[in-house]
Amino acid sequence: FSIMDQTPKEVPQLELAAVSGFNGQVHFGMRLHPDKEHLIYPLGCTVVLTRIKDNMRHFLHGHTSDISCLSTSKSGVYIASGQINYNDFEAEIIVWEYTKRCIYTRFVIHESKVEALAFSPNDKYLVSLGGQDDGRILLWSITTKQAICSAPALPLSLCHRLTVKYSNTNDNIFVSAGRATLQIWELDEFNKIKPTDCKLSKLKRTVRCIEFAPDDEYIFCGTTSGDILKIHTKTKYLSDYGPIKTKHSLGANVLKALSTGELLVGSGFGTLTLCSSTTFKALKHVQMNNGVTSIALKDDGRHFFAGTDASEIYCLDLQDFKAELVSTSHHGAVKDVSIAFGSSELFVTGSEEDIRAWHIDNSKELLRIPQPCLTCNTVHLMIDGHSIVTGWNDGKIRVFAPQSGRLMLIIHNAHRNGVSAIKGSTDCKKIVSGGQEGTVCVWELLKHGHRRLAFLTEHKSTVRCVQIKSDDKEAVTASMDGTCILWDIVKFVRIRKIISKNSSFKTVCYHPEEHQILTSGTDRKIVYWDVHDGTAIRELQDAQTLAINCMHISHDGRYFVTGGDDKLVRVWDYMDGMVTHVGRAHGGAITSVEICCNNSTLITTSADGAVMRWKFPHPVVE
Amino acid sequence: MAKTIFPQESIYNYLPDQVHTEKPKYKSKFRPVLILKDKTLKDAMKTMGPAKVATPSPDKYLKKHSKEPKLPQIKERCHRMCTTKKPAVPLRSEHPPMDLHSKRSLIKPTTPVPTKQLVASVDTSRGHKELLEHSGLVPKYVNKKSYGKVPEYLQHRNEEVHRSVDEYNKYLKEQMEQGAMRQLSEEERQANLESLRTTLDELHNKYNRLPVVMDTLTRKNRKDQLEAEIKQLESDVGLFERFKTIYIAK
Repeated sequence: FSIMDQTPKEVPQLELAAVSGFNGQVHFGMRLHPDKEHLIYPLGCTVVLTRIKDNMRHFLHGHTSDISCLSTSKSGVYIASGQINYNDFEAEIIVWEYTKRCIYTRFVIHESKVEALAFSPNDKYLVSLGGQDDGRILLWSITTKQAICSAPALPLSLCHRLTVKYSNTNDNIFVSAGRATLQIWELDEFNKIKPTDCKLSKLKRTVRCIEFAPDDEYIFCGTTSGDILKIHTKTKYLSDYGPIKTKHSLGANVLKALSTGELLVGSGFGTLTLCSSTTFKALKHVQMNNGVTSIALKDDGRHFFAGTDASEIYCLDLQDFKAELVSTSHHGAVKDVSIAFGSSELFVTGSEEDIRAWHIDNSKELLRIPQPCLTCNTVHLMIDGHSIVTGWNDGKIRVFAPQSGRLMLIIHNAHRNGVSAIKGSTDCKKIVSGGQEGTVCVWELLKHGHRRLAFLTEHKSTVRCVQIKSDDKEAVTASMDGTCILWDIVKFVRIRKIISKNSSFKTVCYHPEEHQILTSGTDRKIVYWDVHDGTAIRELQDAQTLAINCMHISHDGRYFVTGGDDKLVRVWDYMDGMVTHVGRAHGGAITSVEICCNNSTLITTSADGAVMRWKFPHPVVE
Repeated sequence: MAKTIFPQESIYNYLPDQVHTEKPKYKSKFRPVLILKDKTLKDAMKTMGPAKVATPSPDKYLKKHSKEPKLPQIKERCHRMCTTKKPAVPLRSEHPPMDLHSKRSLIKPTTPVPTKQLVASVDTSRGHKELLEHSGLVPKYVNKKSYGKVPEYLQHRNEEVHRSVDEYNKYLKEQMEQGAMRQLSEEERQANLESLRTTLDELHNKYNRLPVVMDTLTRKNRKDQLEAEIKQLESDVGLFERFKTIYIAK
């Protein structure tokens, strides 16, 4: 029988304890709100407001896909964010009301992507620029919530616009720039915008960012060639450009004009430079690990935040120019999480290009093991805590030491197309791994090496989840071909096969008493199966519309947690089959969930790179 | 194949050092005192044996009741209840104090000043004696300043009462005036009457000019309306003519 789920609105919300995540790829995505208390940045399809003082976070949900640009008005009343959408679908711009933390209005005209947004200085207008397929410039009135006028895309395919910026004082002047184009737009009294091309003489540049001088006399443009153009606003002539010899490597990504008349330049190579606005000579510089994508000045005029495309946030002092790391997070999709057994404080996450170990009190990771150009599909922390077992998309299993990050063991060619699931036994001597092509392997870890014990080829498609029974004699694997197999991992034979009709399993877990297993997958159903005869006992149909990706059951067996493509974390009661709590914060599909041993912490990860820690609402009953 | 041996690592080493939650071992609270006592005793006998002090003499043997607690001696009770002690009576051998002079001149004879006799009244020869002033025989009360006058507080109170009564009357009057009907003056009455009459004449005129044939409903209605108006006006004129005094409600 099936039980219909209640609507999520009636269900109590999960309490969010901490969030790690920041989409650093968005150009000028991290901004400081004019009240200088909140940091605003995109995370997947949510806008996150973080109070700097105590890290209180607020999420603005409304976009259907990843956010591509963000802007705050000068007074701080409004925040605007634009998104990416599928080709030929309209990409929304949402204007948020800051104080109420709600949607003020939605603007839908642009196609497939909104490239840049800018507010006029008196909050009268919002100018938006469409992506490469769209290319239009639209001017919106904030008060009437309507479009005032639009300008078509540039006719030549060689040049297209990349950025737009409003003047600091004048509500009628803004600048758009991009590849081989630099135009100053003026709004006349008939509500029409007219462009004037700036004369750059022989110079051909791709402008990446624009910054007005505080008094609007000059416009500074950072180019991908690594130099800065200085243009007089009135005459529209190129006044100066530089530096000529030592250019900013990988382009001047971000520019910020200081009130002292100097320029802060962040390059794609990660160099943050303070240079004079007349000679463009570097006065101070600091090198960071990854390209700078956003700069936000603090109100004291001395400190500023810098965000890099590797999703790190630094705090810098203008005087001594030392970078202090404030927070780090994954910049790619987080694929898997594993909590240290018996602890609710330590966990390991696997992501694209690296795996990281975290302590819950720290916003920075304890350990980062980088593996460039590889993706960690699955990670498992051994119960004794002496090793981290990971499966990678190059088909290798790597075992790392948890403190130094030393590679302890590498199993080459474990699975042909990549390892997709891995689990270690409770005695920490065996590993069961599943591959993309559907094979299941059992490995024995020796002191200086490994031995393959079995190679099981029953599944026809990717093995998505492996679980081992606590006595290390049986294992269960769930596969995308719609089967779920119980294995004897002592004799290496199949015990039982569970087949679901026209759906694929994405996750499986043992109930702690190990008489039942729970499976879920693309059919959005959670099914309880009897281990001994392989019959379905119970079926929970969820009202959610998208597939379930991951599931984890608490160690007392009373509750389990699911996460899926609908970005919601659901806590279920095992006996009642009802949703007890819902967590709504993720801005991407949830890729893994895990509850710690003493039911105090719940950790979820999502495809937008966020790692969220929730307070688990059902503590252990003594 | 040579392999370096690495120390075994554990993720649990990241956890902060666990605080000992065990109870501390039991320790007697008298222990320091005992240690001190023991130490002094031991110190004394450390190397040289017990301290060399004089042995008690045989005279000072233990006496009866010597160990009993000594109660404090009861002081003699003072029988007289005098608080200060008077100076002793001078002895016979003592000389009287000298050099004590009075200021009265001894040379000048004192002239006796006759004391003023107080007038008293006596009810009987052996009866009570009382000063004449207090006896009630002399008019004393009548001579008081406030005699025969209304006390001040009563005056104030009366004033208050009068004022409130006045105010109330004033208020009533105002109310009456507000609610009172206005009398029409003679001129007004005449003017009204004149105007009524002129309108009546006009209506009569209109009425007389009505057509003779009353064939349509409109004409009939018109006639009826005029008749009603005339009737009303006639009654009004009668009213004004009959009564000389007319009041009009506000």
